[in-house]
Amino acid sequence: MVKNPYLPIPMHILRTYYESTDRSLKTLELSFDDPENARAFFAAYNPGQFCVLSVFGKGECALGIANAAWEGDFVRFTAQKMGSVTQTLHEMKAGDPIGMRGPLGNGFPLEDWKHRNLVIIGGGCAFSTLYALTKHLFHPAVRNDYGELKVIYGTRNSGLCMYKQDIQSWHHRDDLEMHQAVDVPEEGWDHHVGYVPNVVKEVAPSPDNAVAIVCGPPIMTKFTLSALTGLGFAPEAIFTSLEKRMKCGIGKCGRCNIGPKYICKDGPVFSLAELNALPNDI
Amino acid sequence: MSQILPKKNLKQLLSNWAASYEIYAPQQLEKFAHFMPTNGSELLYIDEQHNTRFPPKALFLPQSETLMKYTRFGAAQETIPESKPRIVFGIRPCDAKAVDLLNLMFLTEKDSDPYYQARRKKTALIGIGCNIPCPSCFCTTVESGPFGRQGMDALLTDLEDIYLVRTLTQTGKTLFAEYPEATEAQEAEAKAVQQRSLKLIDPAFETKGLKAKLDSNFENALWQKFADSCLGCGICTFLCPTCFCFDIADEAQRKERVRNWDTCMFRTYSLEASQHNPRPTRRERTRQRVMHKFSYWLDHVNKIGCTGCGRCVRYCPVGLDIRAMLREFNQLEAEVANG
Repeated sequence: MVKNPYLPIPMHILRTYYESTDRSLKTLELSFDDPENARAFFAAYNPGQFCVLSVFGKGECALGIANAAWEGDFVRFTAQKMGSVTQTLHEMKAGDPIGMRGPLGNGFPLEDWKHRNLVIIGGGCAFSTLYALTKHLFHPAVRNDYGELKVIYGTRNSGLCMYKQDIQSWHHRDDLEMHQAVDVPEEGWDHHVGYVPNVVKEVAPSPDNAVAIVCGPPIMTKFTLSALTGLGFAPEAIFTSLEKRMKCGIGKCGRCNIGPKYICKDGPVFSLAELNALPNDI
Repeated sequence: MSQILPKKNLKQLLSNWAASYEIYAPQQLEKFAHFMPTNGSELLYIDEQHNTRFPPKALFLPQSETLMKYTRFGAAQETIPESKPRIVFGIRPCDAKAVDLLNLMFLTEKDSDPYYQARRKKTALIGIGCNIPCPSCFCTTVESGPFGRQGMDALLTDLEDIYLVRTLTQTGKTLFAEYPEATEAQEAEAKAVQQRSLKLIDPAFETKGLKAKLDSNFENALWQKFADSCLGCGICTFLCPTCFCFDIADEAQRKERVRNWDTCMFRTYSLEASQHNPRPTRRERTRQRVMHKFSYWLDHVNKIGCTGCGRCVRYCPVGLDIRAMLREFNQLEAEVANG
């Protein structure tokens, strides 16, 4: 019997909480109804992958996974209230049943990045998979495989910053260099002020033996990619994660392609070198 | 080695098969041929030169199909179709090849599609060649032909009062086991019919080097020119035997998750929740349709995603002709840098 790739894994909502003070971003943590599914999920999971969440009666939507495997047998997502499914996700409560398909996509090529310095750059709610990546790197069994770690995270204002407590604590860690930014000055804000591409120029990470990973809104990504190129990062050393409208998540329904590449199946993580070879279809 | 099926025996053959198979064969509905169920008693519509208006892809990928039923407690029950073995009788070579191409999309090593698979593996394709091709046919341009055999279990050649049957698989052999072998003269006659038909189809455009020209002309003004006359109705994709894109949606009143055919020709196809649309105008959407078939398919499985059935040419309400579009690209220079 073939495994049905359209059939969601039965899950329940463990807890939900708002991430942003304007309540546009909400995090949902889901637990597996069947521990066997949890084992299979975490055996396959690589940070940077995504899932398709399934709200029966409303439909499905693709969201990046926002936790590392070592955090426990749950899966975390942060959803911006946007369409009808995410609207419903925002209304759901702990104990509600929900479906999930995944992990899908390629995730970050962590094997290739071993022994290199990592510069993680995020903007807005796209930081979720970078949060998962950073948490993954914190694990003692993983951390020594990688060099210096810099994290640059910008949001429009401090209220929109996600995972606030954790990120606050990252400023005090000695195994990473944390840079936070808001777009416009705020009272009491003692970190960077300005758009992410400018903060990247200000921080000026060295391209030597380094890899930069950028996730953010399209306009931020566009300018950050050129800022990194200006700093001397090669196209092969810059990575980004893309999203497009998706339905199946497994390269069959046809819509998330950029030229010949499907974001769901061949991505969502691409190097700038790979993107440069693709037509302007995004 | 071929066999002979006298046309007068066809009804009997179909009704014999009907005991253990569901049979679909072209029958007349309004002015067109349609694949419809038969047990041998219906009048078939296969002597006409026109192919069915709708391709038989719906027999494998229905226009709307239930993927699962669910309860409000979150439990989902998959609805894999269970049917009797099926025979699609009278399928044309372009359409049989299209089914073979769909196999490449759905019967993949990873994430094989169980719904498609359940239908496909139970279905035998008995094809019939085209003695007189239509003016819109261009199968010979895209690696097929009026007597192409790809995807079929048996191929019939119409020789006035008999069919010459060439069985191509074990299933085909079993289905036609009772019928006598053809004489050498009949074989020769069939060959002559096939060769005559082949000569009636002119090459429509050049496929050699076409992909490179399309790839290097992604921003060419031609796309706007084609899009200017396109209505965005999507008929070219709905009637295409190889177009397979679909949408997944919940039918809340039925408590079912369904998938429906979708089309890259529609604005909402790629419209994101943020209202950003990577293909905001018909220029990008026309380009996507053509590029998918004549460039991306080659990247994915090294096959052209078109079998030359000509439906998109015949039924386009404004007469947009993919052959003429591709001829214009034939005439462009491929950028050297892209090679």
